[in-house]
Amino acid sequence: MALSTIPFSGLGADASNQGVNFRNIIINGDMSIAQRGAGPSGSFGGSGYSEGPDRWRHSLNSCGNWQTSQSTDVPSGQGFASSLKLDCTSAAASLAATAEFQMVQRMEGQMLQQLKKGTSNAESTTMSFWVKSNKTGTYIVRISDSDNSRHIAKSYTINSSSTWEKKTITFDGDTSGVLDNDNARSIDIMFFLAAGSNLQSGTLATSWEANTIANQAVGQVNVADSTSNEWYLTGVQWEVGTSASDFEFLPYDVNYQRCQRYYQRGGNGWTGWAYGSNNTEMYCNLITPMRAGPSVSYSGSSTDGENGGRMHIAGVANYTITGISDTGSQTTTGFLINVTTGGNDTQKTAGIKGCPFIMESEL
Amino acid sequence: MIQSVEKKYNTLNEFSCYELIYTSGEKWIVPLDEENRHYQEILEWVAEGNTITDNGGGE
Repeated sequence: MALSTIPFSGLGADASNQGVNFRNIIINGDMSIAQRGAGPSGSFGGSGYSEGPDRWRHSLNSCGNWQTSQSTDVPSGQGFASSLKLDCTSAAASLAATAEFQMVQRMEGQMLQQLKKGTSNAESTTMSFWVKSNKTGTYIVRISDSDNSRHIAKSYTINSSSTWEKKTITFDGDTSGVLDNDNARSIDIMFFLAAGSNLQSGTLATSWEANTIANQAVGQVNVADSTSNEWYLTGVQWEVGTSASDFEFLPYDVNYQRCQRYYQRGGNGWTGWAYGSNNTEMYCNLITPMRAGPSVSYSGSSTDGENGGRMHIAGVANYTITGISDTGSQTTTGFLINVTTGGNDTQKTAGIKGCPFIMESEL
Repeated sequence: MIQSVEKKYNTLNEFSCYELIYTSGEKWIVPLDEENRHYQEILEWVAEGNTITDNGGGE
């Protein structure tokens, strides 16, 4: 039988729209990958990436202090094992006009060309997710196009305190503003948790428009108003179309590798030449190609394993790593690195045991 | 918040990267790649009037 004549039902359930076809544009929407650690161990009062699920950035200005973590509190019977948890550790009961707090996933333009944004065929999209908080009320999800300074925002309501609820929001396509087809930041998906009056003084931008600060988060409750407040999120799926399909569960290894495009730990297998009493130049091959030439950091741990390691010179000794003096020739697949150690045996071939280095190319 | 940025040189004394230190103590070696977010932060930090340390590349 020719392939074109096989009845659709003959291919099994996975050939339907509910199978894995990478329709979910969000990476790590099930919050299963947490390379920075499950956390929490510290709190933050500014923006950046911290412990908890990969790819989710906190964008925080004058909204108290918070902890992020990967939680096992999940909606029952939905197949999720992890959620993103936010816990307020220092409250901001009265918000400054410029205050804002969102959990954000930033996306590359080349990952978004299927949206046909900026054309007459621009696609509508649908966001679905599970959310839970003791703080009930109106919340905002905003899509920001940084290539063209445009945005759209919709609200959802948490109806019941401390109860998992599934939300579905459909956004119109945007016939204005083509997204750059490159590895730079084009779209931010922003889950608001708090917004000062500057972001709420207009009319919520429920249709695509030129970015207007006053229209970004109209109606948003202040989740930062008490240290008793928590907010959980999982099962985030953003897909083309006007309805939400079942969450697309990716194999763990596939999800892990997608996250490693932006953050990975490494060291095992790097080799080089100890050329000075405290210096070794090494050649790094990244585990998977990264989005851009990565920044590199030393974890500070000399315990050989997933989060630490040492310099090894065969037949001589293991040496504690003290830092990185420089890197160079960075590409998306590797770089040269000059590792400093507590000492070594010069003019010898050296290698790394464990994964003491962190590579980062987040947006 | 950025505490300091220093130019770093490779074994051939070529300017190859920056060392970026935040006030939290977090330290990154940053490539000369305009698409790197730390590199972009350094550009913004300099635009705000801050100065990159350059101790040269000599031994």
